[in-house]
Amino acid sequence: MTSVLINAFKRLNLSIRPQVKVISSSYSTAVTTANSLNVTQKEWKYPPLYTKPREVWIENLDTVEEKKLGLFELHPSVYAAMPRIDIIHRNFVWQTKYRWVSWAHTKTRAEVRGGGRKPWPQKGLGRARHGSIRSPLWRGGGVAHGPRSGKTHFFMLPFHLRIHGLTSMLSAKLAQDDLHVVNNLELPTDESNYLADLIENRNWGPSVLIIDDTDIAPRNITVATDSLPHVNIMPVYGLNVYSMLKHDTLVLTLAAAERIEERILHHLNAITTEQQREFKLSQV
Amino acid sequence: MGSRQITEKSLSILRSLPRISVGNIRDNPGSKVTQKRGRGQHGGDKHGAGNKGSGQRQNYMRLGYETGNNPFYLRMPQEPYYRGHHHRREYPPLSLLQLQSLIDTDRIDVSLPVDLASIIKSGLYNFYPEQKQFGINLTDEGADIFAAKINIEVQWASEQVIAAVERNGGVITTAYYDPHSLFLLKNPKHFFKTGAAIPRRMIPPPDVIEYYTSAETRGYLADPEKISQERLKLSQKYGYELPQVENDSFYEMLCERKDPRQIFYGLEPGWVVNLKDKCILKPTDKELLRFYSS
Repeated sequence: MTSVLINAFKRLNLSIRPQVKVISSSYSTAVTTANSLNVTQKEWKYPPLYTKPREVWIENLDTVEEKKLGLFELHPSVYAAMPRIDIIHRNFVWQTKYRWVSWAHTKTRAEVRGGGRKPWPQKGLGRARHGSIRSPLWRGGGVAHGPRSGKTHFFMLPFHLRIHGLTSMLSAKLAQDDLHVVNNLELPTDESNYLADLIENRNWGPSVLIIDDTDIAPRNITVATDSLPHVNIMPVYGLNVYSMLKHDTLVLTLAAAERIEERILHHLNAITTEQQREFKLSQV
Repeated sequence: MGSRQITEKSLSILRSLPRISVGNIRDNPGSKVTQKRGRGQHGGDKHGAGNKGSGQRQNYMRLGYETGNNPFYLRMPQEPYYRGHHHRREYPPLSLLQLQSLIDTDRIDVSLPVDLASIIKSGLYNFYPEQKQFGINLTDEGADIFAAKINIEVQWASEQVIAAVERNGGVITTAYYDPHSLFLLKNPKHFFKTGAAIPRRMIPPPDVIEYYTSAETRGYLADPEKISQERLKLSQKYGYELPQVENDSFYEMLCERKDPRQIFYGLEPGWVVNLKDKCILKPTDKELLRFYSS
């Protein structure tokens, strides 16, 4: 009910000033004309209630110089959420820890070679009593409470902290002008120099993370990024806080931006108690 | 200052700050406190654990053990008021206040009849039919501020609750569900996936027949004529004017009731819900029709 009203208001608001924006029904038609820019107007399943959508330029990759192809709306709950540095940090710690298996290893007094014989009699020598030359007190003895190999540091960050880690990181990237939306990943050439020039020209950070909706990226961009270790391509389902932290600039395709928005909005608005029940740890 | 301004402010501050990266993030200060017992703290005393024994070693005796005495919990051979408690039906409470907040936060759609399934679907009512729970006991907490006009079906309700619902022009029914139907209502998708036909709802056991056939408790087996009389009586007892359901714009919705044999709204016993092909299969065989129509 409320969403219908809000959508109605949104349309009303836009129709008052049509000289600024031309509403087009789908973003595929968003192209520059001589003097008017097409704005992608989106109908979200969960429209923003109290905040306005964020607008970003749709850029191109087929020329080194940046062309602005249109404006694209991003949902504020995903791309303009509260940038919680602590949640980003907890996600970072989680991602480094869950895959970390510590192989550090020390031998206990039982595992160190020898030490079965009592070094000297218990009494009568005026020396301290000892039962083994491999006791932790001895030089060359075993280690008490030392690290044992194959220790996992796996733990699971709560589901909603993972979701909020993504929204915080995406929002921080957008707020710091490090998030760019491109229409597609088609490059005119497969030379890595072209991509390096493009990144240099647009003042994107040296390291760039490119996110696409599909698993298979176009050939030119895969070949071009092959020899650039700091430019990486990733499908939407691989998007994570760690990679976003590691790369200076995040480049999303239109489809990827929408897909990320849709998935995160779904989880932000879903009741996940039942879904998360089986993953709940430390339950009695 | 609302949260929106805080978010906007933080984002605008971020614009002028260095890029967030691995090197400049940290957790909130004080979020991780490692409890350490300093050996020299408080003059190196016992830190509240006492000298020797269970206090220091945490090897406490099991609960109720009295070091060889006949324990208190075994001294009395039985507590008769608990006899048969494991057979008794349990109706976990839901207050009118909770119901109102479920409605206000859009977790329940009041433009449709509300039943046990929709309240469970809200995610905020824990219900375990395997623990002899038989449905909702709607309690009168928050009856004064209850303001929703609903068609609700619960399993147990007191007179005050009935009055609170009917005062707002709503309708309340108390209905019995046998345990098997309750499992279906709790997780309909799980049942539909089995591909079995929706069973009939069983009739109530003898000790609650009276409750569910009486008009005072708005039982689902009661005579509708008597229920409308009782509605009027109750309004006079509690001193409110009974809103006319007939003139209501939601008349159709407010009049909707389940058949005594029906479990889900809109689905009749004997039907099969096919989730894969997204269709409903209805029985045509005469024998089946006769069985399910009773």
